[in-house]
Order: sequence, then structure tokens, then C-alpha cells
Amino acid sequence: MADWQIDLIKVVFIWAWALLIAVVMTWVERRASAMMQDRLGPNRAGPFGLLQPLADGIKLFTKEDIIPERARKILFILGPILFALPAFSTYAVVPFGDKIVIGGKEIILQVSDVNIGFLYVLALSAIAVYGMVIGGWASNSKYSILGGLRATAQLISYEVPMGLALLTIVLLYGTFSLREIVLQQQGTFLGFLPNWGFFKQPVGFIIFLVAAYAEANRVPFDLPECESELVTGYHTEYGSMRLGLYLFGEYVNLVALSAITVSLFFGGWALPYVDMGKFLGPVSYGIASFLVFFLKQAFFLFLFVWVRWTVPRFRYDQLMGLGWKALIPLGLVNLFITALLVQLTT
Amino acid sequence: MPRRPVVKKEYTLGERVYLVEIAKGLRLTWKHFVFNIKASFRKGPHTVPTCWQYPEDRREIAPIFRGAHMLQLNDKGQELCVGCGMCARACPAKCITVKRGKPAEGEEDRYAGKTMCSSFEIDMLRCIFCGNCEKACPKNAIVLGQDYELAEYEPGLCIYDKKRLISNFLKAKAEGRLKPPPAPIPIDAPPVKKKTAVKKMAPGKTKAKGGERAEKGKGTSVKEEDKGPDK
Repeated sequence: MADWQIDLIKVVFIWAWALLIAVVMTWVERRASAMMQDRLGPNRAGPFGLLQPLADGIKLFTKEDIIPERARKILFILGPILFALPAFSTYAVVPFGDKIVIGGKEIILQVSDVNIGFLYVLALSAIAVYGMVIGGWASNSKYSILGGLRATAQLISYEVPMGLALLTIVLLYGTFSLREIVLQQQGTFLGFLPNWGFFKQPVGFIIFLVAAYAEANRVPFDLPECESELVTGYHTEYGSMRLGLYLFGEYVNLVALSAITVSLFFGGWALPYVDMGKFLGPVSYGIASFLVFFLKQAFFLFLFVWVRWTVPRFRYDQLMGLGWKALIPLGLVNLFITALLVQLTT
Repeated sequence: MPRRPVVKKEYTLGERVYLVEIAKGLRLTWKHFVFNIKASFRKGPHTVPTCWQYPEDRREIAPIFRGAHMLQLNDKGQELCVGCGMCARACPAKCITVKRGKPAEGEEDRYAGKTMCSSFEIDMLRCIFCGNCEKACPKNAIVLGQDYELAEYEPGLCIYDKKRLISNFLKAKAEGRLKPPPAPIPIDAPPVKKKTAVKKMAPGKTKAKGGERAEKGKGTSVKEEDKGPDK
């Protein structure tokens, strides 16, 4: 097979895989939340209600597509697309497995190992903000515009701590390539701890996680859509599949964010103390590394759901206070200390 | 009353950092999650303790539950109802219509009493399931059963006739869900004073309601087709 064919297969596979996880996530979200609240959740469509996302999708597709009369048409249409596309594209640089050898050809399990994968992720997550803001402003409705305003303020203020947290990782590993970072996290340090970013940068990890929740608009930071105050915030005026794109984009975003978390802080595809490559064949090693990555990712996906049904929503001033008065100073101090340590040890 | 001053709670450092408190919260939700996951593998009528999945899981109904009515038969299969109309008089919703009749020649063994009800209708749309008919019945003939799914596609089907009321009884008997007979009234109880005749409604009033309702209003008072031989 030519290289472009392999690339095409990888793109299609990872696109379908991300979609599949996102679809299952909508189901997991509803069932797990039900279990946490002593309810049952959707359990009628298919076994365990697994076909519920499909039913929801069909419903959203067949609904009438309404564009409000006073809305800005082009921007209104552009909003959900701008929101969902970056979420899908983030997966392009995620190393979702080590490598697999088929027919003597070594295939790296990553769509493209760009050497600035890091910046790519940051840039795309910044674009996704525009999806919300434009959607909110274009719908010409008071709830939407308030949602859009909140999205602007919130996402701008949480972009900074996220960047600061990621900078510490860059300082540690000295590279922007995600695959390189994962490769450097193999093995152990101090004799017993896995060589993960989490153990080297616990503060950075916490800052990153909090900022990631804010970026993904999840409870406790879901102020842009905030049902109790703003109906549903920036997508109040949306219906049919445009709304579906917003809702679905949120889950794809979660998938991408947890993939980034795993590859930056939890050693990507590698198991902590075991080197899988030693006792597995070339093909099975590739599959095993993919599965390990997925398991770690699944934990963070579940954490998103778990936190959502545990923590209440922040007040707006608390949200801003946390961002500017706690996370940014903490991130700066953390960055300073990390830089000092890196300078002293090398 | 003097207002209590608002005391602002001083948060400890751990509470202000918030992460520990989140961890505590996560522990609580996790407990519920695990408990319910385990419970959903349990066999039994309902899996998650607080949820009954209605069409499959049904709650146990008390034997004195007041559901759909039925007209009882005795052990020999004879109708107990004598068509006295006490139930119709006791009914606060005026939803029962009874017509007393005499059994036809050669059919006397179908009825326990000397008279019977030639028609017995209950308008379930008006019934409030108070159970007064049951209490009023001297023969324990009308009883409120355990069925509570009474929805119909046509409003006309909600008016239960005698046939349906008896079939309700047969169904309940087949399923073993009959109501236990009421406790016997103690013999030394003071004799019940004979009631004066029920006041008839002013004719104007019944007319004002118009149509079917007026007819039913009249129907609540017993019409005697022929007088029993003992009177």
C-alpha cells in the first residue's frame, strides 16, 4: 500500500472511532448520571438503551430546520460548524497508539506526527470558542447573546492557565510533538514512580484539568449554557441538526480533551511498569497499545461525567475569580519553579 | 421577633482550596453509582431500588384497594345483587344506575335473591372510588377490585354494564385477587334507623343539566319495574 492509502485509512478510522466514542458517551452520560442519582436512565431503545443516541440522532435529523427571522443567516449557519470542526480536527495529532507492523511496514498510530502538535491543539481549542460566540451573537436573542458573552469571557480567561500548564510540559520534555512527549514518558523515575507527566507536574495537571473543564463547557463551568438562567445559553435558538451539531461537538470535544490529557500527563499508550513490546507480537502490540490508550482515555471521559453530577455550577464572579486570581498566579509560579528545576538539573 | 443575625461561615483552608471537597463529593456519587450498578444485576421485581419499571414491575396492591368495580357471584355462581339500589343512593358522584327486575321464568336459580338487577351501570368517568357503594351494599354484591388501569379509547366504553362488572369478578376470581368479605357487623349494634326517602331533585335542576346527565340524575333513584312478591 502506498503511504497516502495508509494515511487515508488512519484518517477514516480515527474519525469514525472518535464519532463512535462520542455517540456512546451521550449514552454513558445519561445512564451513569441516572445511576448516580438512583434513577434508571434511558433503557428502552435496544439492549440497555444503547440505541438511544441513534434514536436521538434520527429525531434531530427529521426535525424542521428553523432559522429565526432576525438572525444573521450566514453566521447562524457557521456557528455550529465552527464549533464542531475543531473538536474533530484535534484528534489529528493525538498519538492513539505506538506503532503497528503489517507486512513489514511500520505504521505509526497517529494521523500526523506534526512537530508543533501542541500549538495545533491550543489553536484549535481557541477556534472552537468562536463557534459559541458567533452562534450566540447571530441568533439575535437575549439568552443567546448572554451565553455568547459568557463564553467569550470564560474561555478567554481559561485559555491562559491552560497555556501556562501546557508550557510546563514543554519545558519538561523540550518538544512540541505529542508523540515525542509520550515516548519520553516511558519508564520510571525516582525508582518507583512511572515517568508520567502527572507525577512530575501534579500542579500543572490540576490547572490543565480545571481549564479543560472550562474549555469544554462542562459543569461546574457550563455558564455559557447554564439552563437555570439562560434557557440553554448560546444555542437557545438552534434546533434540529444544528443543535445536534452543538451537542455532539461537545462530546467530541470531551473525547479530544481526554486524549490530550492522557498523552500529556498519563504516558499515552504505555503501561506503567510493563513494556508490552517485549512479549507481544508486532500486530498485537499495536492493538494492545491502542487499547491501553483507550482505557486511560475512558477513565477521563468518565471523570467528566462523574464531576458533572457531583459539583454544582459556579457563580459567574466565582468563575472569573478562580480563573484570574487562583489559576493564573498558580500557573505562573508553577512555570517559574519548573523552569528553575529544569535549568538546575540539566 | 428579633431577627437572628446572619453568621457567615468561616471556611477552613481545605474548604477554600475546594479540591478536597470535590473529592469528597466524588466519593459520594461513586458510592451511589456502584450501589446502583450492583443493584441492576440483582434479580427481582425492580432493580434500582427507587425505580419501579411500571409495565413490568407492579407494586403489590393492598387487599382493600379500591379499584374497578365488580359484581360478585356466590359459590354456586348465583348473582348476589338484588337490585335494591342502596349503592346508587350512597354514591356521592351519582354514577351508578340500577334497575330492579324479577328473574324470568325458569331462571330463578341464577340469582341468589328473589329479585335481581335487570341493568346495572357504573359511569367510571364520574366515579371517585370512594367505596361507599361497597359499604352500602347489604348483600356484599358490589365490590371495588384491584384493577386500576381503566383507560379506554372511547368514552362510551368507560360506562361499565352488568356483563362487564361480572366479567371483572370472574377475572379477579381466576387470578385469586378477590376481596376478603367485610367484617360482620356486631349483632348488639344499635339498629339502623330507617332513612327517610331520598329527596327528589327539583325538576328544574335536572333539566338545566340537560341531555344524558339529566337522565342519569333520575336514574340514581331506583326505578322499580315490578314490585317484589313480598311487598
